Amino acid sequence: MSLILIHKTAGLRSIGALLWLLTASAVAQNVDLSTVPPRDTVQLTIYNSADLTLVRETRTLSVKPGINPLQFSWANTLIDPTSVELRFVNHAAELTVLDARFPHDKPQMLYWDVQSQFEGAATVEISYFTSGIRWAADYTAMADPAEKTLTLDSFVRVYNNAGEDYERAQVRLVVGTINLVEEIAALARAREQQQLPASLPEEDYRQANKQAMRRLEAKDEMMAGSVMAAPAVAMMAPKAVAKESLSEYFLYTIEGTETIPNGWSKRLRSFKATGIPIQVEYRYRPVEYGDQLVRLYLLRNDKLSKLGSTPLPDGSLRVFRDNGRDGLSYLATQALQYVPIGDKIELNLGADPEVIFELVKQKVWRDNLLMQLRGANVYQKLGNGMQFEVDSQVAGWDEHALYDQRISNYSKQPITIEIRRSYAGDVVFRSKLEPVLHDFQTVQYKAVLAAGEKKDLYHEIIERQGKNAKKRNIEILNTVVTAP
Amino acid sequence: MLKHASVPVLLVSCLMLAVPPAVQARIKLITLPIRERVEIQLEHPAVTLVEEERIVPLVAGENQVDFSWANTQIDAVTILLRILAPDEEAVRLLSVSYPPGENALIWQVAAKQAGSARMRISYVLTGLQKRFSYRALTSQDEKTLHWSQYLAVENYANEEYPSSGIWVGVGGHLSRPLNMGETRQVLLNDYPSVALQKTYTADLQAYGYLNEAAQKLRVPMHYVLKNDAAHQLGQFALPAGKVRIFQADNSGGSAFIGEDWGQFTPLDDELKLYLGLAQDIVVKRTIEKSEQQVVAGNLYRHKVVIKYEIENFKNAPLTLDVREDVRALRNQLRGDNGRDVAWTLGEDTSFPGGLNPEKSTYQQLVFQAPLPPRQADGQAKKIVHRLALWLDNEWQ
Repeated sequence: MSLILIHKTAGLRSIGALLWLLTASAVAQNVDLSTVPPRDTVQLTIYNSADLTLVRETRTLSVKPGINPLQFSWANTLIDPTSVELRFVNHAAELTVLDARFPHDKPQMLYWDVQSQFEGAATVEISYFTSGIRWAADYTAMADPAEKTLTLDSFVRVYNNAGEDYERAQVRLVVGTINLVEEIAALARAREQQQLPASLPEEDYRQANKQAMRRLEAKDEMMAGSVMAAPAVAMMAPKAVAKESLSEYFLYTIEGTETIPNGWSKRLRSFKATGIPIQVEYRYRPVEYGDQLVRLYLLRNDKLSKLGSTPLPDGSLRVFRDNGRDGLSYLATQALQYVPIGDKIELNLGADPEVIFELVKQKVWRDNLLMQLRGANVYQKLGNGMQFEVDSQVAGWDEHALYDQRISNYSKQPITIEIRRSYAGDVVFRSKLEPVLHDFQTVQYKAVLAAGEKKDLYHEIIERQGKNAKKRNIEILNTVVTAP
Repeated sequence: MLKHASVPVLLVSCLMLAVPPAVQARIKLITLPIRERVEIQLEHPAVTLVEEERIVPLVAGENQVDFSWANTQIDAVTILLRILAPDEEAVRLLSVSYPPGENALIWQVAAKQAGSARMRISYVLTGLQKRFSYRALTSQDEKTLHWSQYLAVENYANEEYPSSGIWVGVGGHLSRPLNMGETRQVLLNDYPSVALQKTYTADLQAYGYLNEAAQKLRVPMHYVLKNDAAHQLGQFALPAGKVRIFQADNSGGSAFIGEDWGQFTPLDDELKLYLGLAQDIVVKRTIEKSEQQVVAGNLYRHKVVIKYEIENFKNAPLTLDVREDVRALRNQLRGDNGRDVAWTLGEDTSFPGGLNPEKSTYQQLVFQAPLPPRQADGQAKKIVHRLALWLDNEWQ
């Protein structure tokens, strides 16, 4: 994109590095001279919850008293034209934007007429929204061989597909969800689609050529980093990523500046935390993890866990373990959901072949049968020597099922297992497993197994059926249940 | 960016930062550090992790370490660089850049002074996979078998690994070259005398009739290996794989007697290998009695007696496992009411030892019937057992 100051008189004044002679400007029908002031600074504020980046760039113009037409164009980029704003960083009292005009035949261009009361250099800030730039967090977690502590590397990766090279840009990343009523990409396309097809004017060809040249150079500039002309012997540190909270959001500011050409992405470390204490737990929660016993690393995003300086944004997290043989074992990849400061982090490692978890239904029986006389609203319990009419039918009963939850721990570590099972209806959970209710229809209990230990966790489920069902929740009975 | 025909390539170029960028693009010094060590981690059931170590020469200041690959399926998002030596004070990873449309990335690495750094690059690779297979050689008496576990590593990753450490999670650490397109098989574990049980099973629901009109059941044979120390296994879970079974013959050789897919067998669990149908065991199953008793109204109690007439025409005694699926039985006799079967065993059940409590569940009943060998006159003794069941509290 470019900003062009158009000189309607013959007085030549070069502000930027490049001079273009416009032969068919929409503003000036005759021969015009324009200057292209380069960016002095550029700041990208990239949101991860929407396809939105706020770009602020400053450029220095030379203005003369009177009206100074400014052309701002953004061919082949994804800028929302409704968001483009011009602000004067200095001489604000002497400079006024009279109007902004969007020419009908040039979709990605606008003109500002700036009224100046002085002659000299003025710094302007142009801000706009663009789509096509995004960032994402990702993480690498590495457990020690004993699985007592974890090293967590957090990274941020910025992707630039906005159609524009951003050179030496200050990069700020926003963590948090924002509301947009229209997509920036749609707004960027909207005006372009309103235009009739037309051949590109010569100026656009020049711009395209210029951009292509800049792109060729950009890769090497980026490779060189933004620390230009630093002494070769100086030891450079990874860029620090400063974190600050902002209302409901968190703002990450990457130290220094970055050059990210169009089409490229760049990944930087956000933070590294070592010695994070972890707890290993096994869980059976079919609603959350499917019908399998899974192994988890549990940790917290807090100071005690050597974390807690920032929320952890959504991102892909890969888990490895130092296998103790001078190598790594790949354990899992999972999508980490946003973790606020202080909240717990669960890393699901999947099933563990060294822990066998099997539920065996061992016996079924029914009792407390309730009979209804056919055609009458009369019910009687079966038993107690009561005589029943032949013309009666079962209206209620208690269905008993005896289960053995078999667990074998073949790992070399003691393990803790948490089990949750849900039951619908009027249910009694009878056992000595010290269960608790996770919710009105879910029972939770725990078991601890030493290395090599096997356990049979017997429990009985009584489901009250038909007319016997009086409620829709679980009653816990703390009584001994043994093998049949 | 230079690119090799197939392999991941590591290039190091030294940036002369005092030189303007336009000049850098034209003058580059590139070194090609070779792999010092490769470890292939195959223990995960679905993912292959490759770790390669390279000695990377660095100049003082910032260095580009360019990692690119072609024709290999490296999962780019899993690529991980760790600098093993020297420490972070001397060499640091600054950032990673990803060029568009290329299988490549560029690490920016800062070095305090010129020298070499030992770097380990890890990535998940598709096309390099493992396969397990087994060879079982049973003794003539079929009491023990020689159990050999083989690992085959198939290298279809379009990449050479001339010298690689291989770890599959079971057995020891292996060191083998893996050439492109090659499958390399190694003997991973060898157990010369694993205790073996041969089983014969009568189970209508699972295996059906041999002759339905005559009510004769199929009798499948299995070898059962228990994966525990008592049976000379039990060091690791047994991964799934094909099992080829041979039996020692009288001439010191062996004969192939069949094969089966061995399922994943955790520690302490049983591996069952199907051998085929026994021709010399005849089991006739008849429902001798089926009658319902009214308890009240539409509530019934149903008495069932199943008779098994069993003949063993083999010269050796054996034990037949008899299995009944009570739900299938109830559905056959009374129709399916959608409820589990509440059953009690009748007193006239004749199987010695009664119900096998370890193998039975609420639905599957398992009994054992010891069978004597064929008699001296060549006739098989007919053994008759009955299973008596009450199907309690049944109604439609």
